[in-house]
Amino acid sequence: MTTLTAIRNRFSISPGFLAWLAFLAICIVIGLISAYEVLTKGLVVTDMSDQVPWGLWITIDLSSIALGAGAFTLSAIVYLFRLKRFERIARLAILVGLIGYTSALLALVMDIGRPDRFWHPWVYWNVHSVLWEITWCITLYLGVLMVEFAPVIAELPFFDRWPIVRRIAHQTHKAAPALALFGLLISLLHQSSLGATYGIIKARPIWFKPSMPIMFIISAVAVGPAVTMGAAFIIEWVTGKKNMPHDVLRAIARFSGLGLLAYTYIKFWDLAAVTYYGSTPGSSTGFSILNQFTPYGFGFWVGEILIGIVIPVLLFLVPRFNRNPLNLVAGSFLAAIGVLFNRWNVTVSGLIVPLNYSPGVEYQLDPGTYAPTLVEWGVALGVLGYALILFTLAIRFLPIFQGRQSTEVH
Amino acid sequence: MSKKKTRVKLNLTRRDFMLIAATAAGSAVTAQFVTTGPLSPFSDLKISQVTGEQTEEHPTGEHHWGMVIDLERCIGCEYCLRACSAVNDVAPDKPWNIVVEDRTETGRKFFFSRPCLHCQHAPCVEVCPVQATYVREDGLVVMDYDRCIGCRYCEVACPYDARKFNWEERDEDNEFIPTWGVPEVERRPRGVVEKCTFCIHRIDAGLRQGLTPGEDRNATPACVNVCPVGARTFGDLKDENSDVSRLIAANPTLRLREELGTNSSVYYIPPEEGILP
Repeated sequence: MTTLTAIRNRFSISPGFLAWLAFLAICIVIGLISAYEVLTKGLVVTDMSDQVPWGLWITIDLSSIALGAGAFTLSAIVYLFRLKRFERIARLAILVGLIGYTSALLALVMDIGRPDRFWHPWVYWNVHSVLWEITWCITLYLGVLMVEFAPVIAELPFFDRWPIVRRIAHQTHKAAPALALFGLLISLLHQSSLGATYGIIKARPIWFKPSMPIMFIISAVAVGPAVTMGAAFIIEWVTGKKNMPHDVLRAIARFSGLGLLAYTYIKFWDLAAVTYYGSTPGSSTGFSILNQFTPYGFGFWVGEILIGIVIPVLLFLVPRFNRNPLNLVAGSFLAAIGVLFNRWNVTVSGLIVPLNYSPGVEYQLDPGTYAPTLVEWGVALGVLGYALILFTLAIRFLPIFQGRQSTEVH
Repeated sequence: MSKKKTRVKLNLTRRDFMLIAATAAGSAVTAQFVTTGPLSPFSDLKISQVTGEQTEEHPTGEHHWGMVIDLERCIGCEYCLRACSAVNDVAPDKPWNIVVEDRTETGRKFFFSRPCLHCQHAPCVEVCPVQATYVREDGLVVMDYDRCIGCRYCEVACPYDARKFNWEERDEDNEFIPTWGVPEVERRPRGVVEKCTFCIHRIDAGLRQGLTPGEDRNATPACVNVCPVGARTFGDLKDENSDVSRLIAANPTLRLREELGTNSSVYYIPPEEGILP
């Protein structure tokens, strides 16, 4: 208990902390107002249309799931591959995963036309649908994350009164390897299927390719742990306490750097096959329309490749750079931005390219247009505020690093 | 590591082996039961839907409702669009049934109209996470508006842009009512996807009264009835003597984006100058 008291005493409510909370509160209030607007008026308040039926919220949804991938990756590293020196970061990874997945569900509930029927995929099954499989995996995995996180909650002083709760919660720790294995399996499944969501749509030539699920899973495995690593450094700066040995965090950065290189390799061959070696009329028309009507090329080369891959890889892998925590945090931030760019580019661009089904040569739908409205940005801000306030409060009140797990794990 | 390996070897007694074998056999039997047995949640799924194989041209039921659209005859009057929008109370600016001008490769103008094509291997049906849309035994691709969650994946997946989402609660007057018909079905609620039904309510009610869809007007889709030049024909593709089957037998026909394997139920007779490859 002395450690817990120490944690509480170490934090004091400083003006800076209060200002931060106020900022987050404003984000959440804006989010709530926007959500009210959506729930009362319907999705007409967005800029989505029948031609571009998915937009900013699906991008947020996909990105936050990808950025939460550190949870299953690091859990597998710790509990399955038994790399003990990463153990202290497991709880933080699970926290980031929990925040990522719940943020995704928040965005998703706003995005579906009938939020009151969010439970339908659990009752009415279509096993052929990747979206059905994704819904199941995400829900199951959220359950896994909660069980994995339960011991952290149970360590709160509040549960001093009910030692039984704490004992039960700690029993689950013994199941950690099994949970990590289950989490690994369903994560590999749904992180890939999120890409397959696009990859299987045979009507849309720039989506229809088997590399989609592979690019999604590799980018998630590469960037997820980097986000957790960046979060660990930021916590260290804010709390002033060195929770994690820096060489462990640097190892995670190197892992992410190598992951990004693997991602680059697949992406290179994907690009070469689709646009150069095996270009089809459908895909080349699609890309030329995109480059004509949208800043697709800029988003791809600058957003995805330069910001999302090249700079982070240099910061993570070059020894001169990766010794400086500031570079590692910057790298993880940029890699996360790259994922956002990629998920946006995949989702929105694929829909902007019009379908072509007419038997003649003249009739052609206009390219779709989409620019998120203020309400859409408002909901996005609300989700961000939710994620950051959960993170802040968890770091403030929960024993993320000071757990008993290291004494009980063996 | 090597120590562990040895232990595993020693521990694998005959009893363990039997246990593993029994577990494997048990799982195999259970899997069989769960996937195809009477209690299986998958039992109401057609095999073709699970395997992706296209076993036959027609659905399993007694009928296969389909349409033939003669592009040579169509004059682009949009009556079909209006009658459809009135009878099904569809928003006039988001019609289920579109009519557009198009050209053949030789530059000749023709009019192209498109209802929902009622694919037997429908991409929209395959992606729906809740089976809110499905292919009926008579080949119709229908929507269950009470089950749809509004994720719009079907809209994304449909190759023909045939699906429309209800972005808001509709309270506007429909300009096509009553000039072009009176609503025979309810307006769809906000937040669900809708699409052409081939006037399913007329087909079902007509069959109950002993009518033949495609021949008796009361059992035939509104767009077919209203067409002033007879460009649209409706009927049972399974019945060799139906008008649609005869037209398909007597004319060259094409289906939209046939290479996608959607196996749609709408056949087009190309304009005389030809757009067939």
